[in-house]
Amino acid sequence: MTEQPLVIAVPKGRILGEALPIITAAGIVPEPAFGDEDSRALQFKTNHPNISLIRVRSFDVATFVAFGGAQLGIAGNDVLMEFDYSEIYAPLDLGIGKCRLSVAQSKDLGTTLDLSRLSHVRVATKYPSITSKWFADRGIQAECVKLNGAMELAPTLGLSPRIVDLVSSGATLKANGLVEVETITTITSRLIVNRTALKTRPEIGGWIEKFRAVVAAKAA
Amino acid sequence: MSETSRTLLPEGLRDVLPPDAGFESDVVERLKRQFAANGYALVQPPLVEFEDSLLSGVGTALSSRIFRMLDPVSHKTLGVRADITTQTARIAATRLAANPRPLRLGYAGQVLRVKGSQLEPERQFTQAGIELIGAESGAADVEVILVIAEALAALGVEGVSVDLALPTLVPAILAAQAPANTERLRAALDHKDVAEIKAAGGVAAATLTTLVEASGSYAEAAARISKLMLPPAAKAEWQKLVDVADAVRAAAPALTLTVDAVENRGFEYHTGITFSVFARNSQRELGRGGRYRLTHGHGGEAATGATLLVDALLSAVPRGQSAKRLFAPVATERAAILAWQEKGWCVVAGLAKTNEDKAEARRLECSHVLLGNEAKEI
Repeated sequence: MTEQPLVIAVPKGRILGEALPIITAAGIVPEPAFGDEDSRALQFKTNHPNISLIRVRSFDVATFVAFGGAQLGIAGNDVLMEFDYSEIYAPLDLGIGKCRLSVAQSKDLGTTLDLSRLSHVRVATKYPSITSKWFADRGIQAECVKLNGAMELAPTLGLSPRIVDLVSSGATLKANGLVEVETITTITSRLIVNRTALKTRPEIGGWIEKFRAVVAAKAA
Repeated sequence: MSETSRTLLPEGLRDVLPPDAGFESDVVERLKRQFAANGYALVQPPLVEFEDSLLSGVGTALSSRIFRMLDPVSHKTLGVRADITTQTARIAATRLAANPRPLRLGYAGQVLRVKGSQLEPERQFTQAGIELIGAESGAADVEVILVIAEALAALGVEGVSVDLALPTLVPAILAAQAPANTERLRAALDHKDVAEIKAAGGVAAATLTTLVEASGSYAEAAARISKLMLPPAAKAEWQKLVDVADAVRAAAPALTLTVDAVENRGFEYHTGITFSVFARNSQRELGRGGRYRLTHGHGGEAATGATLLVDALLSAVPRGQSAKRLFAPVATERAAILAWQEKGWCVVAGLAKTNEDKAEARRLECSHVLLGNEAKEI
């Protein structure tokens, strides 16, 4: 029997640089074009004839893996929480892409988030599901303005006084007159796997073990 | 109403057209025959029941999934079934309460749910399954797994694998060493998110992490998990799974067995060993089942069963050669048509005289045309 193809979905941008050494150390070496941000290709060969990598947006990594289009992937727990796909397992914390998901507000609103008198907030975010759940747990209805980037502009331009976004250094917030007032969760990237693929293809467990060994060696 | 909006169906609902509808019906028939051959007698509960009875006993977990309507006759709320297992359980516990145990029942039919998921948007789909009621022993779990695996093999599904789970294991561990935030931990376990399990697992974190990491091929999982220091109640639960798995392996050595020691999603009413069925070339779960308790009426009764999701199954079943379609020109004797049908042909009878029978046969998507007494391929 020929080996079935194995597709690994990797997010573009920020995480890619940190993810590539881990993938390589696990024994999967992509063709040179993969590291080239200018390459127009979407699917890349590796040193294993049946393994290929796809480079997609971070949210799409989760979707490709959930639907079984890709069997493995690398995604932050922000993306996993937002979609809450039942078909994705996240068996390994890769310890890369560290940042946090936070509530920030215009500094005119003060440096703390006082929720005691609020029944409703308007928040600009890329994460409407996490945001409404977080506020709902605190008894507040959140009306989310969905943006795909540049959330920091929303308060200045009057879309919403608050935002929920990824924060790493906080420099972007400060530059736009915003203060971080609550951390919703800390973020790292996980190795994710499609549930059915894990159950039906024994070799996938082997790959997870290889990644686990790489991460353990890095931590040691 | 415009022409296009008249063809629009509500979300998650669809028309099944030829040849798919015929294929599905054929698959369901073959499943029913296979179940009956193992002594599972067919029951046929109604589509709609009083909400109270649909949601009583093991049906409680389905409350958020059923369509409700008001019955103009009784002025009571009715619910449309979202699952036939719970109806079969009700029948076993009430109308068939006096029948000898173990009681074997089978069913096949359509169910409706309020909402599909993003991955499985269908709101109406076909279930076919079996229930084995009144048997406490692991032998019943083994039988159900084998009957399902054999039914799939008989349909020609290749690379079937059964993923065993034990929704009682984690609660037994947590009862002995409960962490603070069980809700967060449950979510972490559901996603096998090891980082979150370590953060939320408290003193049980190490044990739970091993359970997650050991999940996979049965032989390896059994070796790792059997070595774990588990609380006595959890140990006893685990031993039940090992006994069942070993018996299944002995009876069906070719069947792939995997273990998922922390799975409990979709097993809301289960009280013991459960399982999900997969096939190598299908991206969806083909079916699931497991042990539960009938809670209608007196004390309760042990039961186990399994449901196949026919929609998911169809893509994994090889389509046989469809019956050959023969065009019989107008005025062909009815007896001749019957004779061809006897031989397994589909016979399409012409209704009016045509200039060329062969062209007419082709137009009606027939593979053959009846010329004289002979079926000529076209």
